[in-house]
Amino acid sequence: MAGRRAEEEYDYLFKVVLIGDSGVGKSNLLSRFTRNEFCLESKSTIGVEFATRTLHVEGKIIKAQIWDTAGQERYRAITSAYYRGALGAVLVYDVSKPTTFENISRWLKELRDHADSNIRIMLVGNKTDLRHLRAVATEDAQNFAEAEGLSYIETSALEATNVEEAFQLILGDIYRAISKKPVVSDDSGAGAAGGVKEGKTINVAPGDAGAEKKQCCST
Amino acid sequence: MDKKKAIDDTEPGPAPSRGVDRFGFIKPEQSNSPDGLPKGKSIQEREREERRIRKWRKMIGVGGSDWKHYVRRNPHVVKRRIRKGIPDCLRGLVWQLISGSRDLLLLNPGVYETLVIYETSASELEIIRDISRTFPSHIFFQQRHGPGQRSLYNILKAYSVYDRDVGYVQGMGFLAGLLLLYMSEEDAFWLLVALLKGAVHAPMEGLYQAGLPLVQQYLSQFEKLVMEHMPKLGQHFVEEMINPSMYASQWFITVFSYSFPFHLTLRVWDVFLYEGIKVVFQVGLALLRFCHDDLIKLPFEQLLHALRNFPEEATDPDVLLPIAFTFKVSSRLEELQKEYQKGPEGSSETSTSKRHQPLISKTMSRVGSRVISNLISDKK
Repeated sequence: MAGRRAEEEYDYLFKVVLIGDSGVGKSNLLSRFTRNEFCLESKSTIGVEFATRTLHVEGKIIKAQIWDTAGQERYRAITSAYYRGALGAVLVYDVSKPTTFENISRWLKELRDHADSNIRIMLVGNKTDLRHLRAVATEDAQNFAEAEGLSYIETSALEATNVEEAFQLILGDIYRAISKKPVVSDDSGAGAAGGVKEGKTINVAPGDAGAEKKQCCST
Repeated sequence: MDKKKAIDDTEPGPAPSRGVDRFGFIKPEQSNSPDGLPKGKSIQEREREERRIRKWRKMIGVGGSDWKHYVRRNPHVVKRRIRKGIPDCLRGLVWQLISGSRDLLLLNPGVYETLVIYETSASELEIIRDISRTFPSHIFFQQRHGPGQRSLYNILKAYSVYDRDVGYVQGMGFLAGLLLLYMSEEDAFWLLVALLKGAVHAPMEGLYQAGLPLVQQYLSQFEKLVMEHMPKLGQHFVEEMINPSMYASQWFITVFSYSFPFHLTLRVWDVFLYEGIKVVFQVGLALLRFCHDDLIKLPFEQLLHALRNFPEEATDPDVLLPIAFTFKVSSRLEELQKEYQKGPEGSSETSTSKRHQPLISKTMSRVGSRVISNLISDKK
């Protein structure tokens, strides 16, 4: 096991789903964020994957519990179940592939159909390292995001550009949203399960900017 | 940043500096390479292996001519020998014989060629996108547009035309890729057809049809089997809100070919092709049984991590398969299938509306409740 701390302490646990067309780089965004790894030879995601990272956001210790989903449409039969109860959605497209941007509206509809109505959504244009292949202008995406009320950022999981910032952005967004208005869950039993762990001593997972970039690759 | 090259244009070609294991997978840098067999085989072991191959050759006959006859007369001998593992040099041929694909091939001369050359598929772009993401660490599939990638593309395209309702679905590539390591493109195609259309066993196309109905059914059956065979662990899963879709979807969708050591995958496939899908349930149960005492102590996150990263000892086929075969699941699987298909009236504790996501929604509410309790405490 990858040296996890059994007793991590945090103020909040935020569940976030990572969605978007197949091949836009969702899994590598996740591995860059949670393990600071990028895998050139990565496999297509089948079903769902899961990873967490604990970090400081707006002075609070937030544990991000992230569900990475298979992008192919057929898999929504399995993956859409994971939208329910998620507080945030990271909606990814590939800046070098216009169709992945055009499909964003379909993903938004998918979220409207299956996710909680107050879910925070961030649009992410990934693969900015493919400079000479860029096919979706930043401005277009920005305008689209504004019109839809989404936050927006461009990233490169390969170069580790803006990945940290992207997750900070969505987690901060969620934090501000729930601080303003307490989330009301459909299911009762609130407050009963798992006591709040408060404390000031925490180890934030490594992987901040400047850290050594590791290569991965598990077969 | 030094790595500015576009990954879409350049693929890492076969890297001669890195070694490959005996199956052709590129070894991770500092690995102790558990590739199934011990490094140096003793003379006795080699002789035993030779004898085994001779027995198998006799059983098969020239080009498979004696196979059907032998199976009819000695089905139990065949079953026992297959469970011990088909010799690697005969695997491709035997797989075609036991899956019924050889018959399909003979009944459909020229069909594959037509599908590949003359037909176009709506899924072509989707297939291309996944080609380099299928067994990316295997030497045969590494080279961009190399023979491995081309064959893989051809099979997947042909299948998406052959069955336009199913088309192409992620996960199929791992089945096709695995088969391609043991047989020609056309043979592999017909074996894929035999599996999905049900030449010998029940068809498995439901794994890939819209709604993934068979995946949902298998996961539901597996969940109940866990509860029945390992009630304590099953209860622990319920308490920790672990749902089989979180860890076992890949087991069924790719028949253990996605993330397990290759020597285990092969041994599972030997049995899978002869005995059917039940071995996937059995191996799944065996993995849980092997790690039972550890799993039962773990909380949600570590538990999920453990369920996706089984220790090396647990994935040794000579350890795992004997455990797997102790689970008698055939008749129970049939009952559970009927129950599942009957739907919500059954006296099962979950209703159908919840069936596909019962534990998931609970997990969500737990997360939600923790958020709320955090908020409450935050305001103190």
